[in-house]
Amino acid sequence: MSQFEYVGKSVLRRDGVDKTTGRGLFTTDMFLPGMLFAKVLRSPHPHARIVSIDTSEAEKLPGVKAVMSHKNGPKNLFNASVPMFLTIPQLERVLDQYLFDDVVRYVGDEVAAVAATSEAIAAKALELIKVEYEILPAVFDPLEAMKPEAPELHAGKGCTPEGKNIPGEIVKIPYHDVEKGLAESDVIIEETYKLPVQKQVQMETQAAVAQVDGNGDVTVWSTSQTPHPSRAILGKIFNIAASKIRVLAPPYVGGGFGVRIGLSAKAEPIAMGLALLAKKPVKLVYTRKEDFIASDTRHPGYITIKLGAKKDGTFQALDMKSVLGTGAYCSFGAELPGVCGAMTLAIYRIPHQRYHGHSVYTNTTSCGAMRGFGNPQGNYAMEQTVDLMAEKLGIDPLELRRKNIMKAGEPWCLPYACGTTELAECMRQGAESIGWDRRGTFNKPGSTTLRGLGMAVGTHVSNAWPFCVDYDNAYVTIQPDGSAHVASGVPDIGTGTSTSLVQIAAETLGLDMEHISLTYGDTLGTPFDIGSHASRTCYAAGTAIKAAAEDARRQVLEYAAGFFNIAPEHLQIHKGVITPVTSSMDECSGSGLCQLEEVKEGKGNTVTLEELSYHAHVRNKQFIGVGRIVPPNAPPWHACFADVEVDTRTGQVRVIKLAAAHDVGRAINPMIVEGQIEGGAAQGIGYALSEEITYNDKGRQQQYSMHNYMLPTAEDMPEIHSIIVESSDPTGPFGAKGAGECSLVCPASAIANAVANATGHRFKEIPMTPERVFKALNS
Amino acid sequence: MVQNYVFPATVSEAVTFLSTNRGKARIIAGGTDLMLELQDGKNTCDVLVDLTQIAELKNITEENGYIRIGASVTHAQASKSDLILKHAPALAQACRKVGSLQIRNMGTIIGNIVTGNPAADAAVALAALETTAEVTTLEGIQTMPLEDMYAGVCLSCIDSCCQVVTHVKFPVKKKNQGSAYLRMEQRKALALPMLNVSAMVSLSGDTFEWARLIVAPVGAGPQHALDAEEFLKGAAVSDATIVEAGKLARNQAMFRSSAIRGSKEYRRGVLPVFVERVLHAAVEDARKA
Amino acid sequence: MTNQTISFSLNGEIVEIAVSPSEMLLDILREKMHLTGTKRGCGKGECGACTIIFNGKAMNACLIPAMRAKGADIQTIEGVESAHGLHPLQQSFIETGAVQCGFCTPGMIMSAKALLDKNKSPSKDQIREAVSGNICRCTGYVKIEEAVEDAAVRLRASAVKGGDL
Repeated sequence: MSQFEYVGKSVLRRDGVDKTTGRGLFTTDMFLPGMLFAKVLRSPHPHARIVSIDTSEAEKLPGVKAVMSHKNGPKNLFNASVPMFLTIPQLERVLDQYLFDDVVRYVGDEVAAVAATSEAIAAKALELIKVEYEILPAVFDPLEAMKPEAPELHAGKGCTPEGKNIPGEIVKIPYHDVEKGLAESDVIIEETYKLPVQKQVQMETQAAVAQVDGNGDVTVWSTSQTPHPSRAILGKIFNIAASKIRVLAPPYVGGGFGVRIGLSAKAEPIAMGLALLAKKPVKLVYTRKEDFIASDTRHPGYITIKLGAKKDGTFQALDMKSVLGTGAYCSFGAELPGVCGAMTLAIYRIPHQRYHGHSVYTNTTSCGAMRGFGNPQGNYAMEQTVDLMAEKLGIDPLELRRKNIMKAGEPWCLPYACGTTELAECMRQGAESIGWDRRGTFNKPGSTTLRGLGMAVGTHVSNAWPFCVDYDNAYVTIQPDGSAHVASGVPDIGTGTSTSLVQIAAETLGLDMEHISLTYGDTLGTPFDIGSHASRTCYAAGTAIKAAAEDARRQVLEYAAGFFNIAPEHLQIHKGVITPVTSSMDECSGSGLCQLEEVKEGKGNTVTLEELSYHAHVRNKQFIGVGRIVPPNAPPWHACFADVEVDTRTGQVRVIKLAAAHDVGRAINPMIVEGQIEGGAAQGIGYALSEEITYNDKGRQQQYSMHNYMLPTAEDMPEIHSIIVESSDPTGPFGAKGAGECSLVCPASAIANAVANATGHRFKEIPMTPERVFKALNS
Repeated sequence: MVQNYVFPATVSEAVTFLSTNRGKARIIAGGTDLMLELQDGKNTCDVLVDLTQIAELKNITEENGYIRIGASVTHAQASKSDLILKHAPALAQACRKVGSLQIRNMGTIIGNIVTGNPAADAAVALAALETTAEVTTLEGIQTMPLEDMYAGVCLSCIDSCCQVVTHVKFPVKKKNQGSAYLRMEQRKALALPMLNVSAMVSLSGDTFEWARLIVAPVGAGPQHALDAEEFLKGAAVSDATIVEAGKLARNQAMFRSSAIRGSKEYRRGVLPVFVERVLHAAVEDARKA
Repeated sequence: MTNQTISFSLNGEIVEIAVSPSEMLLDILREKMHLTGTKRGCGKGECGACTIIFNGKAMNACLIPAMRAKGADIQTIEGVESAHGLHPLQQSFIETGAVQCGFCTPGMIMSAKALLDKNKSPSKDQIREAVSGNICRCTGYVKIEEAVEDAAVRLRASAVKGGDL
């Protein structure tokens, strides 16, 4: 129940009509006069030097207007993801990519690109490019890549001297004395888990359209989740001032899930480079196969958890290690291991903890951000181990967790407070929904179909601080007609922020949503904003918008105060009408609304914002609010419960029901939050049971299409019960916390715990495909 | 690159188009596989000869003791057809599993055979039903058993540049006969099978008069599990015999390992379960009438 | 390569367009006719983003040879809205929260419409079958299925009232 006008209401999405009628434009729909089409030549080898490349035949093909390769491409090192611009000053940035290099490091790595008058001609031109490769030894597993004999992928580009092929640095989080904690434990459980490559598979593939005008100013329509940082990266790639580059979404983006925090793989710079050469607009749309093999995946790897507890179940020590494959280029490989560790160490009150984790280069598709950002991997390992501890101690897993979960105000390893947590209530409601009491009562002896219940809990962040640079700016301007215009540099990648951010603005200003317009996702009309990632958009950009709106509101009320003859803090704006806080709406000459002069004369005490703004406008004044914030951070919490059935004769696992209970602070728009919970649950089910990308011994991706990458279809979905448990976080706008990623952190952990409950077998490796389950149960 | 696209009004016209183009023209019915092959360069032709306007190929009919299915009949059509549901539940079940509803609305049963894929759902079901195909060329019409249509794994004996498979047919279901189809899949829609089985049984009281048991992909085309079929002839209808049939089928099944569709160990390991389940389902279907 | 001019009914109007025998219907709709509502998610019939209604049946436009459009009755997302306003499906999708990034939405609506045009009282299983060929990565399908059920209720109510949709 909401005491607010807009916040907390399931306001209908403002982009709903556009998206349900086909009107809404996405980057892949863009068409410009004279536009050329680009195609990219990709390496068939996992590791090779380009000995020679001859593009002359391709250049001669009628219709071909530009060809780029390492011979004529820009020579500035970059990182296609935002660490290029958002690495905190204490750390060295890892810049390890060229637009086109003379070394290729994974099957799919860019070798050359062509812009032509049609896609067919561009594709034909690729066939005419002659490349001679010198094959180099390749390595595909992160543990192998750390060995002394492994090939080195990026000599001299920011690897730590502490190990082989490790970009950035090894993340070490010490928290008191883990050896002491282990010594004080009655029971210690240590296990290692193997996590797979998962892929975002957002519905719109990577795409960009680049256009250069007569002054050399560049416009790039793109699928990026972060227009401002992407603009900065493009500037550095081409040595062009950022002020000459505009990056925008057209305005819709067909999903992200982390795959384009920064550039959309290399769509923007390739389109831009070809547009600069051809002096014509260039459109590059990745095929689905290219999206699979040549854009960031989730980090796979090995995670070891050593958990120590007292006999009564009190956790004493947690020692966690991770070795994560980051693929051929670093992307987020330096930050992600930190989040993996920190989020896992933050779940429970454990007095002694230690984390040691890092990425390793391998000759596979680059790994970068995917919803959860290391947390799903760490959570899987931790929550299996907690269940093992519960088994060992003879304590119910729900009880064991209740005993140990973080509490508000308790100390932990993170540099911000655990301000709020309703995790206990999430657990209570989730347990009730799944029928936790029935656990252990299902299976009769001799049954070949086994049923079980499992659970997992976790946390996440509400923005990327302190792991990355994180801040937001926003403008709110009141127009002469009393409507408001909000400018925020974040795009809407599908999460509905173009609606929920307006809810925040409307609530703060006291104005109807219909009277508020929002410019978003365009670097031209908005101040710098980090963008949409790390579950931050509503929390952080929302805080900036709230601050800007409060600033504008303060100016409005200061102006109005003179006419009402009371202090501004005694005035309010409600549905676009300014009136004293304490009074009811006094009638005023018929309409109920007064002119400012009447108010000044004491003849009434209500005036519209429209009247006031126009009054100010004709006296040469406008109300402009600016919000500049560095967001703090706050933990959302979630508990997931799974009810599964395992056909032991075939290994098939069927999820009957998933209950997902989330404390996201205040749900600015509950329907949108539910949508996030449900969508993340589906991805979590895929992570648990069917999604993975494997590489053969030649480094070739085995799953590279919608057809053989097994993400869930509607027919595969169980009943999902999404539960919102509200708390009110003092740091977030109207109490909100991050909501976008939590939903993918726990489901796989809960499902695996349920499978263990059903079958007695614990899976140290996911996905639990029928083949893996069958093998485990029938060997 | 396809230069011409024609819509013959009769089978005879279609065959003539093929003949005049001397191997450069190719039949298209649904096209869900063919169009992708042409785009990927796995197949080429100059002319596509589209069967979908030929009236006589659009139907499922019962004639002279056979159920006859035309070349334009789609999976969606078959999975909902009263005749198929009555006489060949295995085929209805198989067609229902193909791809997605969008694919089922376009892809054809006969196309499913002509791609040559041994585990093509409809083909695996048809193989249990004693299916024959009618193949038309300029020289005339030839009848060919389904088993003879496979030259190798994913290689059809049919040359769509000079032959038109116009119909397939199988005998109507008699009393005490039943059929069923099952597949092992990694997800429930938009997935090819990891393995599939179909069965048709004829019962006499509590005994199998005969059973046809088809397993795929274990060779070129859907394969009969011959030892299991032999064993079931005259055997009692019981859990024990069905379990034994599963084992016999497994012992004869030569699966290959696929990185995407399962190792041979897994497929051999679970095959008996699917054989048991499909036989039980076929028996239940036989006992229904 | 000879282009042929074909005509067909598109969203209730007869149109004429030159197509090449090697083109697919999706290319014609998006690139030639600039009807970008129908999306390309994979180009191989594996994701349903390009679903249209072809002679009353949901199909993937990326798999339909353009020539086959000759004489056909084709509906795309652009034709779902009418002069009276949004179709109940569009209304339901918005009000149930079934729209997130929106890229799968046109295809989903066409799959659902193909079902509801023929059956205004579909079971949950029938709804699920109708949308199982459409991949959505954002919603988990939950609100999409709810939206189709909700639209069916609206259509039935409107039929009772004698409404013309």
